[in-house]
Amino acid sequence: MVNLTIDGKQITTAKTSTIYEAAKENGIYIPVLCYAKKLLPYGACRICLVEVEQMKGRLIPSCTTPVTEGMVVTTTSDEINKVRKTVLEFLLVNHVVDCPVCDKGGECDLQDLTYEYEVVTNRFQGEKFDLPTDEVNPLIERNMNRCVLCGKCVRVCDEVVGYGSYSFINRGFETKIATAFDRGLNCEFCGQCVSMCPVGAILPRPFKFKARPWQLKDVDTVCGYCGNGCTVTLGVKDNQVQTIRFNEDTGVNHGNLCVRGRFGYSYVNDATRLTKPLIRKGGELREASWDEALVTIAEKFKAAGKDLGIISGARLTNEELLLLKRISSALGTHHLDHSGGECYQGLTAGLNETMGISASTGTFPQVEKCNAILAIRSDFYETHPVFGMVINQAIRLNDAQLSVIADKRGKLSKLPNARTLMHKPGCEINMINALCQVIIAEGLAKTDDLQGLAELTKALADYTPETVAKMVGADAEAIKKTARELAGAKNAAIVVAYGLPYTAHSKEIAIAASNLALLTGIAGREGSGLYLCGEKANSQGAIDLQITPGPAGLGAQQMLNSAAEGRLPVLYLVGEDPVVTYPDQGLVKKALEKSFLVVQDLFLTDSAKYADVVLPAASFTEKDGTFTNAERRIQRLRAGIKSPGEAKSDFVVFQSLLNKLQKTAPAAPAAAFGELTGEVAGYAGIVYEQIGPQGEVWGGETLAPLKKVLIPVAGNEPLQAEYQLLVGSALYHSGSVSTRSKGPMSVCPEPYIELGRDDAVTLNVKTGDMIQLKAAGVTIQSKAKVDNRLPKGVIFAPYHFAGLGLNRIYTGQSVIAVEPSKL
Amino acid sequence: MTENVQQAEEQVEELEEIDLTAANEVIDKYIDIHGNLMPVLQGIQEAYGYIPEATVHLAAERLNVYASQIYGVLTFYAQFHLKPRGKYIIRVCMGTACHVKGAGRIGDAIVERLGISHAETTEDLKFTAEYVACIGACGMAPVIMVNDATYGSITVQKTAEVIEKYKAMD
Ligand code: SF4
Ligand code: SF4
Ligand code: SF4
Ligand code: FES
Ligand code: FES
Repeated sequence: MVNLTIDGKQITTAKTSTIYEAAKENGIYIPVLCYAKKLLPYGACRICLVEVEQMKGRLIPSCTTPVTEGMVVTTTSDEINKVRKTVLEFLLVNHVVDCPVCDKGGECDLQDLTYEYEVVTNRFQGEKFDLPTDEVNPLIERNMNRCVLCGKCVRVCDEVVGYGSYSFINRGFETKIATAFDRGLNCEFCGQCVSMCPVGAILPRPFKFKARPWQLKDVDTVCGYCGNGCTVTLGVKDNQVQTIRFNEDTGVNHGNLCVRGRFGYSYVNDATRLTKPLIRKGGELREASWDEALVTIAEKFKAAGKDLGIISGARLTNEELLLLKRISSALGTHHLDHSGGECYQGLTAGLNETMGISASTGTFPQVEKCNAILAIRSDFYETHPVFGMVINQAIRLNDAQLSVIADKRGKLSKLPNARTLMHKPGCEINMINALCQVIIAEGLAKTDDLQGLAELTKALADYTPETVAKMVGADAEAIKKTARELAGAKNAAIVVAYGLPYTAHSKEIAIAASNLALLTGIAGREGSGLYLCGEKANSQGAIDLQITPGPAGLGAQQMLNSAAEGRLPVLYLVGEDPVVTYPDQGLVKKALEKSFLVVQDLFLTDSAKYADVVLPAASFTEKDGTFTNAERRIQRLRAGIKSPGEAKSDFVVFQSLLNKLQKTAPAAPAAAFGELTGEVAGYAGIVYEQIGPQGEVWGGETLAPLKKVLIPVAGNEPLQAEYQLLVGSALYHSGSVSTRSKGPMSVCPEPYIELGRDDAVTLNVKTGDMIQLKAAGVTIQSKAKVDNRLPKGVIFAPYHFAGLGLNRIYTGQSVIAVEPSKL
Repeated sequence: MTENVQQAEEQVEELEEIDLTAANEVIDKYIDIHGNLMPVLQGIQEAYGYIPEATVHLAAERLNVYASQIYGVLTFYAQFHLKPRGKYIIRVCMGTACHVKGAGRIGDAIVERLGISHAETTEDLKFTAEYVACIGACGMAPVIMVNDATYGSITVQKTAEVIEKYKAMD
């Protein structure tokens, strides 16, 4: 700790603080423009100058100068004010000053400082910038005439996002911020640069002329898309979500968001939202009253009893899931599952067998401090973008070594010093086994209290790096290096994403990964962690609440199989659209046709079209309750707007249903949470009202394994086929709601089939050409996208789009042999 | 499809026309050297006469640097050219001495003859005009240079002759 004086006030602060940070902590105001909490010190704008008694004769930039013992700092004086005013005058020389039509007006740092320092006239004169506005893309507008060259956009896109859209170009007066070759912005559209820009130079287009900042009501809630659980701040006016803004002081994400969280909100305001219950009469879905709908459903449910199948999406709150469980027990059914439940067998079965837990062992902030990180599967950045940014930060701030076990190159592979361990599709387990083999063979394993070491050692004899490398086309040296790093690192993390497109070998991959985590001591060690991250906003909550099949109950896929055979008379889908997102579309449709189907959703989804009763539900912006994210963090959702028409939150629907079943239900989410803390072991002791802005992590920052059992799992033979199809997540989407949002849809509007350059040449296909894939007698067609991230013979398709009908050939395999051809 | 996707696609097509073999060779040569960006860019410029956009994206990918960053470097240093340049570079000195002695008229004469002014190139890629600051031959002002040859005390008439001479050459 260091002692210093700022404006006569005695202050004690950390040795690593800058003067600015020390002042801020103590409520002393110093103006800044180019400083940002989450970026490296920069010191370009000079607005933050202060006087330091020990450094007389010049003014010192407070944002880059570290504190020293006994320092005496003055933050305001006539001299300082004069210099700050001059800085502003300089900035205003070329600035357009079009505040009346600038969306930033009211929360613009330049406007505020000009006002604060009363810069009424300007001693300097010069040309105003006259640059064209970049409005090529639908989400972000760039008006460089308003730019103050603080460099925050350049830095955030590099240091945090790892995309690198911008750079300073030219010299002197001509200096400006531009993309490569000064083209229109064409990037991930995460909007981080929008959040960072202190002026109106980078603005969200969907928000243009929607509201002045002070007219917006800010509501902090949790993003409804992925398991990252970012805090989003809804900007509400006229009962509409007008924009989503960032708040760097709350939540896990430091105000970072991805395109889905930042721009993916428009589905909430969509005119096609369901507003009334629908009942099928005379073959058609017709509007009905809530009471009629609920009475019909209750009767059908009661009649079906233990033969009712319930599949829930993982975007229901914990409190809603609790009520849903009550409904299933009231009816005596064990056929209960959540969003593609089988894909989570890694957590519910795999991790449970090896460690006796069903959750990640660490928290995201700990990953930032890791020295070695292993990502299993390439597209973690695509499925959990903001966690991807955390990994990027670990590399930048902590010089972490990232290794990626991958069958294709994703964004992770592009991060500085990333090592990509490429292997043939479907052979992740072989690679993980080889890592374990090296650790045991080289005596690096932390073997205390591990069970099953002898069996594992024996089983891994066939998995020397050389053997595996040869079999799956990998690099043996890279495997060895990675193994040694993971074993030797003080803090290390292993990350795997789970979700619908990754059904295959879910359990086995988790077991292999936990073997590795146990051998290296990563599991349960403070600062390290094994992260098995669920795909959806509340996947972890669904697992915690055991929205999984009861004794002899059927899982989601089995329910559909059974319904297709006419053995499950009634199906209840809550926020789930299996026609689009589940494997094997033919079977799904048959199942929905054969059963009496109740669908509760925001839209008349493809699945809802088969329904006998449709109930209009509420979006995450209309709900109170809690989500549990992929690191076990329980966070509160807060309703920002009212649902359209007669749509109701799932909570209210379940309450009414329970009443119709003559059961009681908790009156509100807070009460429901109280009840669930009594039922879910890890949640005990957590009080709803006390869940703060950073949430509550159940089980603590580091969750200790309840047992440590090593279990051998066999790898897979590479598929012998010239062309192999992988199914996965596209960055801009998550499940199927995102395909109803203007944000993600305008960036990634259509399905595509992605090919590597070599294959594109062989097949004579260019980006935009139509191609078809044939597998097991079925063909699908789409536009091609040629890229450089796929090895020869590997083809990729995202699973989010109904139009592509990918699930007509994807039945849950890890890799599919296909015959591609140009159309 | 949105405009920006279209634009991205056009970009890809436009980029595909250039033969990247030479650029790949330059990158191969420097790939393991620390601080290789400047030599790579210089090498590419030597091989192509300028820096084609496709080579920037290639270098970005292979050296794992952002294309935007490379573009920043390219626009910072005057030595790099982002457009194809003529076989003969006509440098017109616009320094003080030459200016006083009528360099402006020489520039105009080139525009008239070849239709190119500063930083422009004729369509047949034969000539590029560049207006430069003092080239250190003030004694012979006004001065032009064509590649390495210097022509002093030049007049509008002599400029025309010089241009004709190079036009006749290959
Ligand atoms: S939106 Fe994100 S990826 Fe695009 S330029 Fe801004 S920070 Fe970079
Ligand atoms: S665009 Fe905004 S963030 Fe970027 S340099 Fe200019 S003022 Fe700063
Ligand atoms: S989708 Fe995930 S990463 Fe993106 S903003 Fe939402 S929670 Fe964050
Ligand atoms: S805020 Fe300190 S120099 Fe810009
Ligand atoms: S001014 Fe032209 S050579 Fe010096």
